[in-house]
Amino acid sequence: METLRDAFDFRDFSKPEKVGFVIFTLFLLVFPWLGAGSFVKAVVIQFLLFSLFGMGWNTIGGYGGQVELGKAQYVGIGAYTVALAMVWWKIPFWVSMPIGVLIALGYSFIIGYPLFRLKGHYFAIATICTSLVLQDIFINWKLVGAAKGIELPIHEHPDFLYMQFKSDTYYFYFIMALFYVAIFYMNWFRKSKLGYQLRMIKEDEEAAESLGIDARWCKIKAYSIASAFVAVGGGFLAVYNLYIDPYSVMDLDLSIKIALMAMLGGAGSMWGPIIGSAFLVPLDRFLGSWLGAHKGLIGVDFMIYSALIMIVSAYQPRGIWGIIEQFRKR
Amino acid sequence: MKMNKTFFIFASGLILFFLMVCSPLYAAEKEIKIGVLYPLSGAAATIGRDLQKAAEWTAEELVNNKKPDIDLLMTKWGGIPNLGGAKIKLIFADHRGEPDRGADLAKRLIEDDKVVGLMGAYHSSVTKTVSAVAERYQVPMINDSSTSPDLTRRGFKWFWRCTPHDEFFTKDLFELLKGLSEGKVKGVKTIPKDQLKNLAYACENTEWGSSVGKVIETYAKEYGFNVVKGILYDSKSPDLTSEARALIAAKPDCMLFASYLSDSILMIRTLKGMKASPNFFWGQNAGFEMADFPKTLGADINGVLTRTVFIAKIAKVKRIAGQINELYKKKYGDDVTGATGRSIVGVQTWAYVLNRAGSTDKKAIQKACNDINIPGYELVMPWDGVKFDATGQNILGKGLIGQYQWKEGKNELEIIYPFDLATANMIYPFPGWK
Repeated sequence: METLRDAFDFRDFSKPEKVGFVIFTLFLLVFPWLGAGSFVKAVVIQFLLFSLFGMGWNTIGGYGGQVELGKAQYVGIGAYTVALAMVWWKIPFWVSMPIGVLIALGYSFIIGYPLFRLKGHYFAIATICTSLVLQDIFINWKLVGAAKGIELPIHEHPDFLYMQFKSDTYYFYFIMALFYVAIFYMNWFRKSKLGYQLRMIKEDEEAAESLGIDARWCKIKAYSIASAFVAVGGGFLAVYNLYIDPYSVMDLDLSIKIALMAMLGGAGSMWGPIIGSAFLVPLDRFLGSWLGAHKGLIGVDFMIYSALIMIVSAYQPRGIWGIIEQFRKR
Repeated sequence: MKMNKTFFIFASGLILFFLMVCSPLYAAEKEIKIGVLYPLSGAAATIGRDLQKAAEWTAEELVNNKKPDIDLLMTKWGGIPNLGGAKIKLIFADHRGEPDRGADLAKRLIEDDKVVGLMGAYHSSVTKTVSAVAERYQVPMINDSSTSPDLTRRGFKWFWRCTPHDEFFTKDLFELLKGLSEGKVKGVKTIPKDQLKNLAYACENTEWGSSVGKVIETYAKEYGFNVVKGILYDSKSPDLTSEARALIAAKPDCMLFASYLSDSILMIRTLKGMKASPNFFWGQNAGFEMADFPKTLGADINGVLTRTVFIAKIAKVKRIAGQINELYKKKYGDDVTGATGRSIVGVQTWAYVLNRAGSTDKKAIQKACNDINIPGYELVMPWDGVKFDATGQNILGKGLIGQYQWKEGKNELEIIYPFDLATANMIYPFPGWK
């Protein structure tokens, strides 16, 4: 009960934050009815998905201060579980998605246990490696489709059990629901015992341990929570795109994007990953869509995209949320 | 100063308003929009941009404007006749080789740009997600250049493919190998099968390359060859030394590849550095037949074979192919290749389909696609035509195998297979590195 109260308790946020959150929620609720085209809808779906990924990453990367660059492997586990369960045994999404999350949780404990013997750069490199190894296994594993990936059967009529809809509006509301569950969870998490322990570990790991905090165990728990978050997103990706391969759901690019969005938005803050995703996803998609097909402008979209990332990180290493706070303090 | 600023903003707004209001008036001529998805940036950008040029050129030069001196029916049209002379307008989107981006852009093209149908997407993996969107939205998609056999085995009702797929092409390779051992190849004496028996392949490891690898293994068994080494590698890898070393260590008679452009160049250079010496080099088009491949590697590829669907030398046996190639070369400086040729046929097919449908209604287009039968003489390719079977696969397409031959300081791509179309003696065995 107390947990639930904590999850819905936003009292410690400033008034502008609360007002902003309410307006943003109202906007999302009516968004599909504002007449936006399906590309814009698809971009907003991507934004919500990456916010979900980012919030997950934020537990270990933001609050825990561990540079984790291997989240794509858990996106892959979530996506593959849903896809394979559907193709092999026709198991509905609502059953296979939680199974995917459980597998991701189990796998993250197995990986996390040895991984958190490492610190700093070594830890970051190890996370990349584990993800790449898993991707390579999937590229060569014929049973799971190898490099060819897996295609989900298309149902002729909309099917709620298998999450197949003709209109993106349904996918939008579904990912939005997941997004809010994640927000409430994060609101609880930051005030939870584990949340405080992680922040303490981030500040000074030795001091934390001297106070009786089992730093390694805390990090493993946060790592697993993060993995569960992204596995949910992975399951969604499978039913949304209806085709997955190891490149689209397990690539290093994806891991870096997840970390980049959270870092650029503001790692370790409640709104950082959402702001980062709201900034980078539309920037990437719209720039690509507007400039990508123009002759004579090859690569301009990439240049603008990377220049903006560099400017933000040079101006305020704490990300966009850091910039906002800097202005508020003035 | 303030006045100036206000005036400037006002004037800009006014100009913008007039542009917005007036532009539809200029565009009043009836247009039929077709969404085309290609990789216009990223690793496959060079190929994607070439495909874009070819598609655009076809729409403008062969369909929308009259060109009476070309012997094609459609060049007399000046637009789609059964649609009141409506022009085809291609709307391009850049998917960067990413399946999820392709799916999103397909939605944009269908719902926002209101295209009547789709074309593309080159990468088989992207074609999978794009065609799934097309199927979901019930919008026709004509695929011009993705060759993964699975694409037409999914029971889709809104997907058709003009190009033959990798099984056709790989079968051609084995027919050529068989022909070599039976003395059927122009300019080559009968080669004992023992000298050709051991095959090694290196294919890039996405959907396309891995399915090529699989098909090679299947046909090798069927035709009685040994696959001594099969490698799947990352086409974005900056170094292919270990892959090249593994291939050489297997001591194959024939080396077979499925590579995109940058990796095909890197692979050849690495093999050259290691002095690889198989009897037979063959590439499953893509990188091997792009204009930049011979341009970059020059004399090094003398004797390298590539499967393709178009070779400029086809002009010797097909006049229209020569006419189109000449026009294209005049504009862009490069010959039409198998890849760009398929874009041309893709747009040609769209034009015929629209003309047959006589409407932009989806169901009418679907029916037209199922019924269409374009005769071979109307196409730039040396095919028997375009006619789709129940799965949506064109059953009248066929492949060619060409060989780069270094003559007078430049590479000529000569036709080696089919044997009756051969334009030069085959260089066999591979003559080694210059």
